[in-house]
Amino acid sequence: MGWREAFIKQSRSDFDIMRKLEGDRMPYAHRLHYLQMATEKLGKGWMTKANAKEHPPASHQAFVRMLQVMKGQPHVRRQLGYNNRDHFSAYINSLLDFALAVQNLAPAVAGFTRQNPEYPWRETTNSDVIAPVDFDFPNFMSAGTRKMPDLVKLVDSLLRIAE
Amino acid sequence: MSLPMIEQEAKMLAAENYKADPDTARIYWFRDDREIRLLELSDRVPAEQDGIIHPFYFNPSPQDGLSFPSAVAVIRQEEFGKLELPEGWGDWKDAVEVRRSA
Repeated sequence: MGWREAFIKQSRSDFDIMRKLEGDRMPYAHRLHYLQMATEKLGKGWMTKANAKEHPPASHQAFVRMLQVMKGQPHVRRQLGYNNRDHFSAYINSLLDFALAVQNLAPAVAGFTRQNPEYPWRETTNSDVIAPVDFDFPNFMSAGTRKMPDLVKLVDSLLRIAE
Repeated sequence: MSLPMIEQEAKMLAAENYKADPDTARIYWFRDDREIRLLELSDRVPAEQDGIIHPFYFNPSPQDGLSFPSAVAVIRQEEFGKLELPEGWGDWKDAVEVRRSA
């Protein structure tokens, strides 16, 4: 197996675990953690040439950059079921901010002062130390937003194209 | 034989990218006889973290007029000429601008 296939396979597994957790009463942090890992590995997989001898770069910014590039790929657009270029661009653009929020959940980006689903952090406002499992991540759980299910659907579709 | 075909497909793909994202400032093509290589300049992406350009790689899709694999990267405008190009892409002076069609 090459690096590309391995990253896509691991991304799919992370994604499947995230889906399994949807129906569980586990802390929401675990779902976010697996989603963030799935998106990062998906981006890195696409950042790797087929049969590449080198692993992809240790970047945490691959996912959003990948979505930016995807907008101009006619074969991706077609495989996602969009005939209209403008509609597809608008669809991707509508998810970029949310995708960036997911991308920034990586602990390497969040450090010990910003919300992330993997490591505890210290709130800058009151100096409280928060364990991710005790935090609701309201920006992601917000019942009024369709961004989470839309992004999950997009990631699932992109994984299917990549596999 | 394949270089003119790749150039033609590169221009088609660049046109698609210009239309898909009006914020794309410029697109450059790097010659290769096996792969379409495009570099897009857009300030909608953050700066590269490691000083190296990392393209995304796509398989051929003849159904969509792309009979060659493609490698597409996007960087910020001010990074042009400063970052390290991907292996095998040559030098910055090899960049051929693909202009936005009217």
